[in-house]
Amino acid sequence: MENNGKVIPIHAEPYGRSRQAGEAQDVLSHLVEDFEDNPASMQYFYDLFRRVYCHGEEVPHRGMLVGTTCIQAPEELIYAFGATPMRLCNGSYHYDQKGADFMPSKSCSLVKATLGMLSAETQIPKVGKPDMIVNPTTCDQKKKSSAMIGGMGYKVYDLEFPNVKESEASRVYWQRSVRQFAAELRTLTGRKLTRKNLKAAMEKTGRAQAAFRTLHNFRRKSPSLLLGKDAFLVTNAYFFDDIERWTLAVEKLNEELAQREKAGFKAVQSKAPRVLFTGSPPIFPNLKLPLLIEEAGGVVVADETCSANRMLYDMTAVDEWLVNDMVDSLADKYLKPCTCPIFTKNEDRKRRLLALMRDFNADGVVYQAFAGCQVYEMEYRSVAEEFNRMGIPMLYVETDYSPDDKGQLSTRIEAFLESLKNRKKQRA
Amino acid sequence: MNSTKPRLQALRDAVNHVQFNRFRFWFQFAAFVLFVYGGYISINLGSHMPFFSCGYNQEGRAGVCYLLPLQHQLGQPWPRLFGMAGIAVLTGFLMFALWFIVLNKGWCGFVCPLGTLQDWLTALRRRIGIRYSTYSQGQFAQLTRVKYLLLALLVLIPLGIGGGLFSHNMSPPFCLICPARMILPMFTGDFSQFTVDFSSKTSMIMTATGVSVMSLFLVGSFVKKRFFCFFCPMSALHYLLSKPALLKLKKDGSKCTRCGDCYNVCDMEIKEIADDVRTANIMTDDCTLCLKCVASCPEKGALQASFAGIPIFVSTEEGFIKRMGKGAHHGK
Repeated sequence: MENNGKVIPIHAEPYGRSRQAGEAQDVLSHLVEDFEDNPASMQYFYDLFRRVYCHGEEVPHRGMLVGTTCIQAPEELIYAFGATPMRLCNGSYHYDQKGADFMPSKSCSLVKATLGMLSAETQIPKVGKPDMIVNPTTCDQKKKSSAMIGGMGYKVYDLEFPNVKESEASRVYWQRSVRQFAAELRTLTGRKLTRKNLKAAMEKTGRAQAAFRTLHNFRRKSPSLLLGKDAFLVTNAYFFDDIERWTLAVEKLNEELAQREKAGFKAVQSKAPRVLFTGSPPIFPNLKLPLLIEEAGGVVVADETCSANRMLYDMTAVDEWLVNDMVDSLADKYLKPCTCPIFTKNEDRKRRLLALMRDFNADGVVYQAFAGCQVYEMEYRSVAEEFNRMGIPMLYVETDYSPDDKGQLSTRIEAFLESLKNRKKQRA
Repeated sequence: MNSTKPRLQALRDAVNHVQFNRFRFWFQFAAFVLFVYGGYISINLGSHMPFFSCGYNQEGRAGVCYLLPLQHQLGQPWPRLFGMAGIAVLTGFLMFALWFIVLNKGWCGFVCPLGTLQDWLTALRRRIGIRYSTYSQGQFAQLTRVKYLLLALLVLIPLGIGGGLFSHNMSPPFCLICPARMILPMFTGDFSQFTVDFSSKTSMIMTATGVSVMSLFLVGSFVKKRFFCFFCPMSALHYLLSKPALLKLKKDGSKCTRCGDCYNVCDMEIKEIADDVRTANIMTDDCTLCLKCVASCPEKGALQASFAGIPIFVSTEEGFIKRMGKGAHHGK
């Protein structure tokens, strides 16, 4: 009667949200409830994910919204133009299945989930429709997503990224590419890039990075003060959270860790095997592997992934604080230290892994490759050879966002951790 | 014993966290004053200075650049040069080497008045807000050889003069074209070097070249950081002797992430400082040992300056964050 005979539209939305929310809820409750002694200051992050992922709450942002599909898009530039960056890489199995319409079946879950999220009617995290999406031309799957994202009605900007990083030619090419990106942002926002606003933006990111580095350094302590699942959650929040609020929350967490250190607190047993995590990035709610490791009594002490360490670790140095030099310095930071497997050579990745092993006193490595993420799959061999040579045990796990392999993985991880423990015992 | 260790560590931390650019500015300023005006208070450190403390600044100099006496000595008639005078040349060189060994190329980055002057021109440009220019890698590879060529000429031409092959009007050949000869005396009010000598064809060519080089120097150093140092024959001579030097720039490649921060701030555009992770003794022939790379390295212990094997300035994360944060604030 009330509808006057109109057909009530069937929304996919509530169903989708509930499935997506269910997945997030499930991971979050494991993450929080399976462990005792979670740091009190982690509550901010638990609540944040609960509100945003489970209740679909909106995340407010300032100015225009610029989506990024990769860490290679310089966020300082986006902030300088008064816009807010938002990392679109997604970790939801629900969106992964939706995204399967766009990509061949054997492609990377992350790319599929991102496409699935962008094509969905309700997008979680709900930050809003990006005014532009920056797509750095890194791996093939991301490159090819560009046109698909464009096809969904988004404005896409392809940020040209070189695939050799040693040569000076690529450095110059990339610096030019970043300058073009700045020009594009200028057209988009109608604002100007000035020394003042770029400085302010770099300070903002710099402070966040300094907070991250402090957190990172606390993880060197043995026995650990903080679990890896929490560290991943913290860096995952950086994707969409307000940067200043995020930094404050991390600084608070750091204070708590400093107190924990003073009090001689142990987040794990002294003998817990220390694991270095590398490969395809864990992104909430796909924290399957780190969670399995820590539920089995191990602890992820460091990582070499683009959802955490690689995203926040390397800092920018500027010689002359003029716009030109600042932009070029930023470009350098986003290219030179990058250990992404899309490059021709992976010497830096191997060196970074060995340095992390040494500095974080790790016992072994877990290498996650998303099925279909060819570059990580292809680099497995050379990385394994390097670790073999150094006598470092490594577990290679090919997986995706589906929860189906959890049982099988849990057995493998338990066995791996057991072998690490035995090695430790024999050495002692 | 227990109290000295933390105190030493505290001192080390204080040094490693220093606002390096400011420290270096004042150090260079003091050195400039000393070597350009020290002569007025009768400071004389001899004539074997391993940097451009120009001898033509007759009243103010506190020591003389070794290249001046070297060229004069090599320009003696051959019978004398290859006789007893040769011993004087050798002892002179030894004195020079002893001075050099103390600071290595640190003389360039911290003491050389001509180097300091270039840094001031750079500062002027920066204040105006003009961007510096750079060389491409190809140009760099070519230009870096020029200094060796100049060094060879600086030795061969005086020898030729002594052997009667060239005119005496060419002596001392490098000084005649060196920008320091005209610029540094100007700081004590002596503009007499600022001339083209028309007394002979050779003099005219040499002094005219000198004036052009000086103009090039002023323009060049305004647009390019440490423009002249790429061509400096003293720098080439330094490099040949740098093995036993006490001040050293060291790199621990295993701690380097190749982020390129050091390369980015390097006035001399030395790519190896970032990309070479194998060489421990990382000072190259173009390096001026200004240590800006150490100050801009965020990785603890990846780069360090050591004196006689003792680390004196080491890269640290805290120092980096402090310095870059300060940098971001300056001018506010």
